[in-house]
Amino acid sequence: MTTKKKQKSGIARLLEIAGERKGLLILSGILSVIHVVLSMVPYVLIYYIIEKLLGNKVSGSDINTYLIWAFAAVVLSFVLMYASGVASHIAAFNILYKLRCKIASKLGKLPMGYIGSRSSGALKKILSDDVERIEAFIAHGIPDTIKAIVLPITILTYLFVVDWRLALVSFIPLILLSFIIPFMMGSKRAREVTAEWHTSLEEMNAGIVEYVRAIPVMKIFGQSASSFSKYSETVKRYDIIIIEWVKISSKVWGTIMSYLNNAVLPVLALGLYLYFQNGVSSSVLFLFLLLGAGYVRPLFALTALSTQITMIDQGVKRMDEILFEVEEQKDGSLPFSPSDFSVNFKNVEFSYTAEIDVLKDISFSVPQGSITALVGPSGSGKSTAAQLVARFYDVKSGSINIGGININNLKTEDLMQNIGFVFQDSMMFYQSFYDNILMGMDKTKAEVIAAAKIARCHDFITELPNGYDTLFGGEGIHLSGGEQQRIQLARVVLKDAPILILDEATAFSDPENEHLIMEAFGEIIKDKTVIIIAHRLSTIAEVDQIVVFNNGIVEGKGTHSHLLQNCKLYNKMWNAHTRAKEFELINIEESITKA
Amino acid sequence: MRISKIAWGEFLHTLFLEAPTGILLFIIWELFKENPDTQLIWSMVIAMTVMFVVQLWVARKVMANSYGVIYTIASRLRIQLGDHLQKLSLGFYKKRDPGDLASVVLQDVNNFEHIFVHTVQSIFSSIIGTLILSIFLFILDWKLALILLAAIPIAFLFVYIATLVAEKFSEKHIASRNETSSRFIEYIQGIRHLKAFNQTGIKFSILEKAFNDLRKNSIAVEVIPGPFIITGFVFFELFFLLMIYIGIGRIAEATITTPTIIAFLIVGYRLYQPLKLLMIDYALLRYMNVSMVRIVELLKAPLQDIGKDITPKNYNIEFKNVTFSYVDRVILNNMSFIIPEKGLTALVGASGSGKTTIANLIARFWDVEKGEVKIGGENVKDMAPQTVYSLISEVFQDVSLFDDTIYNNIKIGNPNATKEEILKVAEKAQVLEFLDMLSDGINTKVGEAGSHLSGGQKQRISIARAMLKDAPIVLLDEATASLDPENEIYIQQAIQELVKEKTVVVIAHKLQTIRNADKIIVLENGNVSEVGKHNHLIKNNGLYARYWNTQQNISGWKLKSN
Repeated sequence: MTTKKKQKSGIARLLEIAGERKGLLILSGILSVIHVVLSMVPYVLIYYIIEKLLGNKVSGSDINTYLIWAFAAVVLSFVLMYASGVASHIAAFNILYKLRCKIASKLGKLPMGYIGSRSSGALKKILSDDVERIEAFIAHGIPDTIKAIVLPITILTYLFVVDWRLALVSFIPLILLSFIIPFMMGSKRAREVTAEWHTSLEEMNAGIVEYVRAIPVMKIFGQSASSFSKYSETVKRYDIIIIEWVKISSKVWGTIMSYLNNAVLPVLALGLYLYFQNGVSSSVLFLFLLLGAGYVRPLFALTALSTQITMIDQGVKRMDEILFEVEEQKDGSLPFSPSDFSVNFKNVEFSYTAEIDVLKDISFSVPQGSITALVGPSGSGKSTAAQLVARFYDVKSGSINIGGININNLKTEDLMQNIGFVFQDSMMFYQSFYDNILMGMDKTKAEVIAAAKIARCHDFITELPNGYDTLFGGEGIHLSGGEQQRIQLARVVLKDAPILILDEATAFSDPENEHLIMEAFGEIIKDKTVIIIAHRLSTIAEVDQIVVFNNGIVEGKGTHSHLLQNCKLYNKMWNAHTRAKEFELINIEESITKA
Repeated sequence: MRISKIAWGEFLHTLFLEAPTGILLFIIWELFKENPDTQLIWSMVIAMTVMFVVQLWVARKVMANSYGVIYTIASRLRIQLGDHLQKLSLGFYKKRDPGDLASVVLQDVNNFEHIFVHTVQSIFSSIIGTLILSIFLFILDWKLALILLAAIPIAFLFVYIATLVAEKFSEKHIASRNETSSRFIEYIQGIRHLKAFNQTGIKFSILEKAFNDLRKNSIAVEVIPGPFIITGFVFFELFFLLMIYIGIGRIAEATITTPTIIAFLIVGYRLYQPLKLLMIDYALLRYMNVSMVRIVELLKAPLQDIGKDITPKNYNIEFKNVTFSYVDRVILNNMSFIIPEKGLTALVGASGSGKTTIANLIARFWDVEKGEVKIGGENVKDMAPQTVYSLISEVFQDVSLFDDTIYNNIKIGNPNATKEEILKVAEKAQVLEFLDMLSDGINTKVGEAGSHLSGGQKQRISIARAMLKDAPIVLLDEATASLDPENEIYIQQAIQELVKEKTVVVIAHKLQTIRNADKIIVLENGNVSEVGKHNHLIKNNGLYARYWNTQQNISGWKLKSN
């Protein structure tokens, strides 16, 4: 994707977007031009008949031929209008589809930091609403513009031939409008309000999405839409801003409508004057009354478009910010061919935001085929360090090497191919259980089932109404946290990557299955390079290496016994752990008796 | 009524919109007289100019008013929908994708406001305008007028057919739009998981499929009804030409005057102009209707029985022959037990054994199928859900934090709490412990769903929130599932605080932590397997004893190097 090229904006950018389907749109334009010219036929017919009527030269058979031709022209005109619309809509929706795919792909290439900083509701608004609005420009705007240009030219040429004085006067409303409209719509206030409108809509999106997802919490804590401020306030704010916008736009619209509706006035005045002076015939006067203001109509559609364009443009800006401004992670070029799968942190520094460094100076290495546990108080940076290995974020300085190669130089896809990651939180997608485990990997059904068995989810999946083909999130199909974790584990088992990262991997909740899962773990970590973030210290007391994190630095590393003697923090944590094991929830009477 | 205010404004505006046509007709009529009164004609031109100036003012006022009213109605509708959503049983949420529900409030209400705003004016002006013009044409020559008017029902028949066709596709299109939103939100929320499997962008096939379906359905909804509407248009043209044909024929018979024919030629074509716009708008309105149906359907989703505001005498909780299932799966099967007040009761069992369901039934998130759930002897079904909620504090399994400050996230527990009270619970729940590490202390924003915080930190905030509410019944769901040792101690201390003098129900996984509970209820496959205190259950040598032994073994279980 071109990031360096200077980004176009406004109409130029919209035309660039539309250019993706140039052929179809040109076709649509040509059809539209023919449609417009043909749509004039009834007016010409009316003029012709009036002239004959006033000249008392009516001949039935003449008129009949004209009527038949006029009908044919009109039918053809409508058919072409439809065909033009079909072409432009097909173009538009194909372009929208491409844009949405681009946005989704781009988001996938961004470091997690950007997505963490945006609410999913706001991003959704850009993808569904802002992109959708472009359709109005491509499918309606372009044909409408062509119509708005071709129709006045056709009419005016015709009118000039008939009477140049009246033709000139019929220009007046057009000239006035072209001065007034840009003046009213280009105002700074109008642009500000449009921008505010977008922001408040995004906020409202975010508020409502959050609210709906947390209904149980809302219930228990007695919050409703009217009392939960993120909901009610954003809705109210949107209301205030849209009414502000209405005030501005209704001024513009009111003016446009009034002008259009009375566009015949100048022609009427001059026409009557000339008629009384015997300067024009009555049929010419009627022709001008009929057509002299008619060409303004399509311009009306055009002005409708131009108010929309401010809206569309703001949305496109927001979309382009994702597509072009936010810098994606630089993909390395080296194929993944390290000599081994050792992982090496070298003076790694990292921060999510500019202010606080999460990792200050982290160095340690995990030899190929060994297990390293990261421990430390919460917020010490151990989870962050683990995420850096998979390039969910990029280091600020220092480097992380796999088999001696800096991961920044590797193709991200290859890197991911070689890492299995078990996250703290599990995530299920709205697809079949089979696909939820497969996750797009190139594996057979037998392999999927084998992995599900190792991760201890085969049994509960086969009990589902449609087994592996059951749709997750379908009616009544939901899983407990422990079950979701096991699905996640099955994915990693199936992936069979040489490097394994287990974040809070012992958080399984089911006492009986926990045992089985731990055994599964024992199975899958064989011959792998493992980084585990552990909380139950007794679980990891016998691993090859323990790295103790504290406030973004490595406080100590080595084996359990080494650290017990040489690392104060580890010693403290070990004691806390042993205490926690004995900790019990005691009811009040007992705590009194104990005291 | 606000709508009637719109109606009067639009009616007035329509009169202004139709005035130039009327004046024009009057002038043409006058011109055909033997001796046209030029003075009268010029004064008509002046009248038209004056009305133009007045219209400039009226149009903007009327528009601002109508649009304003519609947008305000939409805002109220959003709040109303939100309030309604909060009152629905959780069973409803299990059936509906939350993303889909959010899009009713967002997208469907958007459809309503945008379409209504854009069509309201043309609906009024086309109906009233057509009416005025028709009457005028009728007076001029009822036979010709009748021909022109005959086109209208025929054209609208085709529009009607078009909308019937369109409706099917509109439904598909709206469903497709909402599907796209849901899948995209899921994509964003699970993006780390997808990255880990190189499944981002269009490689994530369900998202790509949603985009592609949306593309197809959008094209279909725009393109398929078109031919019917075009046919309707053609009928307008056909009848206009027919009118000319008959009119001209009658000149020969001298049953019609030339001025009348000319009036019909000029005005007759104008008659159809607003109707053609209305036909396009009508299709839009039907599209809006699909959204309205979704909105109304949501507003009509049955609320739980209202119940009464009963205050129970005590806080003993009793399950009496409770059966509960959703879809085909029986979750609780004729279950009975008692949870004594002011004590600690633990629910133990495999995942899927019904622990969380029990908590949800106590809180009346759902209603039982058979049997009774009682608090202090009162059936919760007889109590207003709001009353039941007021008795309960809950620490949820999935910590639900909002993209707001820590302070405000705690405050949700009791919106009327003072700053001191909030700081006090923050201290008790060990929240103060980690505030130093954050840039803005208690005013740090937690990110969407608390994404800027660690699991332990989020849980402590959630506990502080529950403490702030200070309700007599406390439900703790998997509260210490995934914590580091230090956090675990903090949280257990925090819970200890919460437990004082409350009826506490814990859904526990680490049996160590609930060993001294007053009552342990062991569940298996939707039935109560055993009940008792720790020692009793160990002696019983049943399921609990088995769990206990397994966990003791796990504690001794170690990850070992290859």
